[in-house]
Amino acid sequence: MARIERILADLFGFVFLLLSFFVAVEAIARKLFNVSLQGADELGGYALAVGSTLSFTLAVIGRNHIRVDVLHELLPHRVQALLNWLSSVMLAGLAILIVTICLAVVNDSIAYKSTAPTPWATPLIWPQSIWYAGMIGFAVCAVGYAVRATLLFASGRIATLNDMFQPKSTKEELRDELADFAERNRASKGSAS
Amino acid sequence: MSVEATTLAAFGVMIALMLIGIPVAVVMMAVGVGGGLLLYGPSFLQSAAAVVWSVLNDSLLTGIPLFVLLGELLLRSGMADRMYVALAAWLSRIPGGLLHTNIGCCALFAATSGSSVATAATVGTVALPALSARKYPIRESLGSLAAGGTLGILIPPSVNMIVYGSLTQNSIGKLFMAGVIPGLLLTFCFMGYIFAASLWRGERRQESVPPLADRLRLLIHLVPPLAIFGIIMGSIYLGIATATESAALGVVAALLLAWLSGRLSLALLRKCFVQSAKISGMVLLIIVSAFVLNLLVSLSGVAGHLTKWVTSFGLSSVEMLLLLIAFYLLLGMFMDAMSMLVATVPITYTLVTAMGVDPIWYGIFIILMCEMALISPPVGMNLFVVQGVRPDKGGIDDVAWGVLPYLVIMILFTCLLMVFPGLATWLPQTV
Repeated sequence: MARIERILADLFGFVFLLLSFFVAVEAIARKLFNVSLQGADELGGYALAVGSTLSFTLAVIGRNHIRVDVLHELLPHRVQALLNWLSSVMLAGLAILIVTICLAVVNDSIAYKSTAPTPWATPLIWPQSIWYAGMIGFAVCAVGYAVRATLLFASGRIATLNDMFQPKSTKEELRDELADFAERNRASKGSAS
Repeated sequence: MSVEATTLAAFGVMIALMLIGIPVAVVMMAVGVGGGLLLYGPSFLQSAAAVVWSVLNDSLLTGIPLFVLLGELLLRSGMADRMYVALAAWLSRIPGGLLHTNIGCCALFAATSGSSVATAATVGTVALPALSARKYPIRESLGSLAAGGTLGILIPPSVNMIVYGSLTQNSIGKLFMAGVIPGLLLTFCFMGYIFAASLWRGERRQESVPPLADRLRLLIHLVPPLAIFGIIMGSIYLGIATATESAALGVVAALLLAWLSGRLSLALLRKCFVQSAKISGMVLLIIVSAFVLNLLVSLSGVAGHLTKWVTSFGLSSVEMLLLLIAFYLLLGMFMDAMSMLVATVPITYTLVTAMGVDPIWYGIFIILMCEMALISPPVGMNLFVVQGVRPDKGGIDDVAWGVLPYLVIMILFTCLLMVFPGLATWLPQTV
């Protein structure tokens, strides 16, 4: 899983770094030489479409999809488990819903040979097919986690289920931040000496 | 059941589902799609699908991953860590001492990053040991950190503003502009309070500062955050770039600065990528769901019905806004800021703009409400973050008490903004 996470994150970063450089060059060229390459906006849209699907998947893996945890910790473990299971299954449901209904969008683009209303007139199916593949990836990942949660719930392994699927608490986030801060500090002391 | 009652019931169910811990995005999508199917049948799904694609293909929202990535780059490369020392050298001579540095550092941090957990964690870890070594009262120290951490979403760039702008179709550049003066002013209000409280207690706490030459040398640590802020706001103000493009320029500049400081490495980039992808993912999925819910709201015209219903009580816009402050204070006690924003703005926006409230001004109002949600007990996120970094073993009530004056300041500040709306609306008009 760690490897998949890294590959997806690399892809995500690559998309947005590339976009940033393109936009920066475009903006400078526009301002200094009055030349517009155009399409920075359009490209930004496609970057978001592709990048977002990667980020949805990564947020499933990292348990980052926001859940309000004000009541959660007060509930008995069994109820927590039920809610954790339900959340996981419903998130998978959301992913499947998006994939199902968005098939129509892709099909329309194929049927009408739709192009973007821009100077580039990009055939929409190009970005959309990558986007749709990303959405399928998101759904597969969410379903995988939901199946795992269901198996744990059915076999009564409540402690493991709660451990793996509880809402990410501020405490956890903070622990990660503090660890990273300590590491940065070590690095800066290391480079200073 | 009347339209108003059905809407309020649906809203109640939605908030209840969120509070028991079902993912926020799932709840909003379920209410949106469920309501849509009930009212319009399967044809609603087609419209919803078109909305999903158009939201995820909207270059305005591309600003979200870019700004998050920018903040991560500045944070993880350590550029932000060194600001505290530099600011302490300049600010701690004012009565109130290092507490001013907390606020100042948070404000500057805010100008480049959107994560309040990271802000409070970084500033808190540097500040709290120094504060407790110098025997600053713990409640005041914790309060200043938690409150300072909220400035991030008011001082641009701010992801919350992008979300508000895209939900209500307002210019994000203008919203950023509108946040500058209130952001600075609120920072000064916080510092003014520390100053006054320090004098009132008669302790006139001041720190000795290093000689001027050293202080000048330390200024170099303030260059990266100020440069990034200047590039972003400057390029928007001068009309060189849109908000999204300015984010891209900021990312390139941050890469350059990280490279100059000798910290740029593949490992660093990878860490930034993972973090920014996860944060973007959680925000974007909520936005997609919010837009589907928004589709239902606008198709069914419930916002219009509600507006008629509410105006039938003959409230003035001022009374309405005061009511909304109470409503958001209450909601903010239990919900996190982003969820609160997306769940309520589609309705309240229609309501107040129908009463003649300026859309950009209302954006700043909403951001202030989000800020309060971050520090209002019992579940303001910043309270827990600051509590988590404190070196001693006190209870969380210290943070809650410490933050109370700031909460009052924010409410008064919101009222001030109602009396002088130009504080928010003037700068965007000059563009």
